[in-house]
This record gives sequence, structure tokens and C-alpha cells, in this order.
Amino acid sequence: MVLDQLYQQTILEHNRNPRNYGKLAGATHAARGHDALCGDDILVELIVENGCILEAAFSGEACAVTKASASMLTEWLTGREASDIAAWSDQFHALLKDCTLPDTPELADLNQLRAVSRFPARVRNALLPWTTTLRALQKP
Amino acid sequence: MEIVKSGVRDQLDVLRLREQFPVLSREVHGKPLVYLDNAATAQRPLAVIEAMDRFYREYNANVHRGVHQLSVEASEAFEASREAVRRLLNANSEREIVFTRGTTEAINLVANSFLRPNLRPGDEILVSHMEHHSNIVPWQILCEQTGAVLKVMPINQRGELMLDEVESMISERTRLIGIVHVSNALGTVNPVAELCALAKRHEVPVLVDGAQATPHEKVDVQALGCDFYALSAHKMYGPTGIGALWGREELLEAMPPWQGGGEMISRVSFEGSTWNELPHKFEAGTPNIAGAIGLGAAVKWLEDVGVARIAEHEAKLLEYATERMLEVDGLTIIGQAANKGPVVSFTLDGVHPNDLGTIIDHHGVAIRTGHHCAMPVMQFFGVPATARVSFACYNLRAEIDVFLDALEKARTMLT
Repeated sequence: MVLDQLYQQTILEHNRNPRNYGKLAGATHAARGHDALCGDDILVELIVENGCILEAAFSGEACAVTKASASMLTEWLTGREASDIAAWSDQFHALLKDCTLPDTPELADLNQLRAVSRFPARVRNALLPWTTTLRALQKP
Repeated sequence: MEIVKSGVRDQLDVLRLREQFPVLSREVHGKPLVYLDNAATAQRPLAVIEAMDRFYREYNANVHRGVHQLSVEASEAFEASREAVRRLLNANSEREIVFTRGTTEAINLVANSFLRPNLRPGDEILVSHMEHHSNIVPWQILCEQTGAVLKVMPINQRGELMLDEVESMISERTRLIGIVHVSNALGTVNPVAELCALAKRHEVPVLVDGAQATPHEKVDVQALGCDFYALSAHKMYGPTGIGALWGREELLEAMPPWQGGGEMISRVSFEGSTWNELPHKFEAGTPNIAGAIGLGAAVKWLEDVGVARIAEHEAKLLEYATERMLEVDGLTIIGQAANKGPVVSFTLDGVHPNDLGTIIDHHGVAIRTGHHCAMPVMQFFGVPATARVSFACYNLRAEIDVFLDALEKARTMLT
């Protein structure tokens, strides 16, 4: 059923064992992402040097979709150019809105979150780690 | 309405009553709908849908304007609904019933017309810790603009108002107490009559947010002893976008108009205008006529079915649900007041309310998840969000079983 596409093994596994979960010592950038309506409240922390994201982590309380999205995103961010993230975020958002688009290979596992396009009320959860990361990058 | 009384002990015949709610026969994600989000909004019976439909088909016209037949009929139906709301609340006079967009607008009306003109820096407004945002934010805005202070009446761990603490919080600067009759987030039924008696000794007016109370119990504003009572039609089987404010006539009489426009005036000239009489003084512009007619139909429907019978049925559902939910491992009920309406807020270990809501929706079960527009009460209990089931007259024990099965499936999936 459709539900199994959202709560597929990869997403459930990231929810149970989130990567990069916890506080990041020596973070250069951080932002809090709070979705009061759902109760999601996460902190995204980054270490950025010479425009390159060396490490990314998140902490806080959130639903499975937000947690899996944050877990995958923080893995994916490592080694990326900070200046590219806004464009990637737009691309990810486009994938969530339009299920007829093909996957974007560079986004790797993050493509699996596209199942939320069938759950309009949950798109905000998949996006929260991205919008939080963008805000962290805006303010050192 | 004989068809909803079963032969046994004058109880509701719920299965036959359900036939009056068209939406209850639909499926959601291939499963029969189990609608347990009644505290957010109830479903509408045919009596309400048809009353509104009839207005638009047969006598749609503006009210209090024309001499033509349609306008006369529309005005009569509109005013008959006001009389129905007066009966619902056992108010003294129809002059005390002001139609609003809902509870929120009714509270904003009191904030802006009753309090604002006389509020001074340092004056105090009291509300409880369990209020809906609609009974917090209008006062906060007012306080910011006038220098008045919003003070919070405490609640205990069971989610009950600590009435003993209230008296010491009342001072000569207290200008109003705002209290929710039945909490949408916790289910708590507040001791409104006791609070009003206490306030009266200190000559402090009390506004009651009755949004969650009117569908579940017989409300008598005179017995409660309050000064303002706000309600929303859509919580009590009526349409959205319409509600009412009841206020004591002498208070409403002394209050200036809130919004200006047509209907609320007696005479207008560029030298100045005079105001229409109560309640029209507070009803500027063409009102939500179909909505008011729907509200009147909902009141009539509640009277026919019998609020006492509904309350008895819902109390049994609440008892059964609470008993079964307390047996669920890792489930915590948020709000365990001795006197509760048919609402159960809860958390489930290891399952975020958001995920729970999505998963059980796919089993056809509609529940609310989130902060329930009562973030301070979530903060009090130290939870970011809860899941909530809330019952209405048409819910069945079997639906609670479906909900509990879906709950187990969600847990299996996520943990």
C-alpha cells in the first residue's frame, strides 16, 4: 500500500538509527528548525571551512519523516560546497512536488523521500531539515 | 425525533442516528471512515445541510433590508436562529445574542469593544494555563497595546484549574477573567460556576469560551453566572464561519460598536452617526445568513436528539476509550481531570504523533495530532505535540476498537 512507500525500510531505518545525530563540537553554523504545528523541533549544526561543509549534524525531537530526512541530508551534505545548497534545496523541493520527474541521481538516498508527495500534509516534514540548513548557512 | 431513541431506557439509537450524517458512510483509503476528530469540527446532519440548501434554493435574500417576500422570509429565519441560540444558552433576551464568525471573533469583540476602551497600563487580565490560543492571543495583543498585564491561572498535573490559587491572583486591577468551559486539548471541564461566583465577589467580569461545551452539555449562562459566553456552530453539528457571543444586556448596551458599516447604524450623516439597537449594533455588514440558519437548525437538531442523551452516550465512549487506552503499553494520557468531556489526548512512546496520524489515517481513522492550538498547555506537560481522539454522538465502541487496532499497527511499523 501507499503507506509502505512512505514508511519504507530505508526511512524507518534512518528513523531508528539516525546518522549524525547529536551536538556537533566546533560548529561554525547552526539554526533551529521548529514546526509548531507538528511539534518537530530540530537543531542543525555545520562545520564550514573555505566554503565547504566538512561536517553536519542534527539533534532534537521530530517525526520519522523529518528525522529520516535530516539523517540523509546530513550524510549528503558532507563535502558539499555551501554555495550550492540553495539550488539543491530547490531541486529537492521540485522532486517532492512533481512525482512525474525522474529521480536526481546526485541526491542519492534522498530520492526515497519522494513518497511524501502522496502525503501533502507531510511534505513540510521532509523539507524542514533543508530549510533549517539554509538558514544555518545564512548566519555564521 | 423518534428515530434516534431506542426502546431501551431512552438511549440513543446510534446506528440510526448515523444515517443522518451522509459523510459517515464514506470510505477513506479503502476503509470505512472512523471520524474521531470531533473536537476540531463535528460532522453535519442532513437537518443542517438541508436547512442551508433550502435557504439558497427557496428564499435567498438579504436580511433586514427589503420589503419583498424573500427578504421577509430570510429575516424571519435569521432571527429564528437567534432565538434558537437564546434557548440553547437560556439567555434572558435575543438582544443578548450577537452573531459572529465563531468563538474567536466573539472573544476579539469583547477584547476590543468591552475591555479596550477602559483598559489602563497595569490593569490585569486572567486566563488559565489550558486556554486555546483564541483565548490567549486577543488579550496579549490588547496588553501590548495598552500596557495591561496578562496573568495565568495555574493548572495541576491532572490538567485541572487550581481554583484555590485564583482568589489570591485577583486584585483591584483585575479587569476580566477568561476561561475555557471544556478544554479542547485536555478534555477538562472547568468549574465555571464556582469561578464565576468567586469573580463576582470581586466584581470581575468573566468570559467563557464555550466552543467545546455546547455540543456535549446543556449550557445555562444564567446558572453559570458568567458575563460573556462564546460559541462556534461547527463544533455542535452546525456550519463553519458562524458562531455567537452572548453578553449581559447591560454590558453590551454600554459597549461601543466594534466594526462600522451597514446594519449596525440607526442614522448616518457626515456630522455623525447613531447606532442601531442590540444586537444589530455589533453586526456590521451583510451577515452569514445561510450560516446562521444552519446554526439554528443545529440547535433545533440538538434539542430534538437531546443533549443529555448525547452526553450519556459520549460519557460511556470516554470511559471505554480511557480504560482500553490505559492498557496500551507506553501510552500516556495527557489530561486526567476528574470531570472530562469526550476528549483523550495522548502520547505513545517511540511514535511521533505526526507519524501516528498518517498511519492510522490509512486505516480510515481520523484523529488530530499536533499542539491543538494550545501550545502553552503542551509546554506545561513537556510534550511538543499529542495525538487526540474526540467523540461525538455518532461514534461507536466498535470505532474505538478500530482505532486501537490501528494504533498497534502504527507501533509495529515504527518501532
